[in-house]
Amino acid sequence: MGRVTRNYEVDDEIPPLTKSMTQEAINLFEGSAGETGPSQFTDQDTARETLGTEGTVASGRMSLTFAIEMLRRYFGADVFNRTGSVDLRFLRPVRPGDTITFQGRITGVSREANGSRVSAEITVVNQNGNTTGAGTGSVVVPNAFLPADE
Amino acid sequence: MADGNDKTLLDWDALEVGETFEKYDYVLTQEMIDTFRKGVMDPEASFPTISHKVDVKQYNAKYRDNGSVNARGAFYCYSPPKAGSKLTVTAWIADKYLRRGKNYIVTEAISVDEEGRLIDRVITHELKQPSEVGKKWGG
Repeated sequence: MGRVTRNYEVDDEIPPLTKSMTQEAINLFEGSAGETGPSQFTDQDTARETLGTEGTVASGRMSLTFAIEMLRRYFGADVFNRTGSVDLRFLRPVRPGDTITFQGRITGVSREANGSRVSAEITVVNQNGNTTGAGTGSVVVPNAFLPADE
Repeated sequence: MADGNDKTLLDWDALEVGETFEKYDYVLTQEMIDTFRKGVMDPEASFPTISHKVDVKQYNAKYRDNGSVNARGAFYCYSPPKAGSKLTVTAWIADKYLRRGKNYIVTEAISVDEEGRLIDRVITHELKQPSEVGKKWGG
């Protein structure tokens, strides 16, 4: 699903992405960089001492990764992996057992020298309807990936 | 003021925006990529560098503090890294600010592979009084 060619318009909805967070997923994420020691992400006692929470939380970097995935799926890997970006504020914790849904909407399309810059707003909502994250995404879509002018 | 681990206790007031840390390298293995993709439940995830938290690695090697909570993060994709590639990271203190009585620092890093390709750029805003967030979040 690398190459996607489509037109982009303000208010276009980006297909949502839902993830079910588990402690195993958090452990794999943390462990993938070789971090095996206890942390607020992997160990309840450390989370209690550092954050004052009863349990572990997921790193905001996991939410960042999921937001990137949502936009990559929409714009295509050939485009998003070269020119994409995400800027996300982490508003509430994401914990093991949570289900979080990423939603996006196009907010701007502008011409640039090397294609069209497409901007989007991103919100992240958990299973209780609480917003856990909010921010923006952006990508420059080369002309070769846009429909030919009429 | 270094402790027994040769780490300096963070003095937020004295921390200089623009402080650039020593570059470091690591090899991104296929195992790292596979584990990352399992963790994020995405077999096509292209930037496993995110989990390496490269923007704060050198900060954490130099400074000690009371821990942190990420308040905001930004990630710029330039070129998906390949398995087996050696990545060189340059990280620096991009900003610091005080908001509602809480101290934040902003770290930034770029990663480049051995062929000189720019891989990605990451920016993280860290709240340096994590227990304050815990109080707000509750249990």
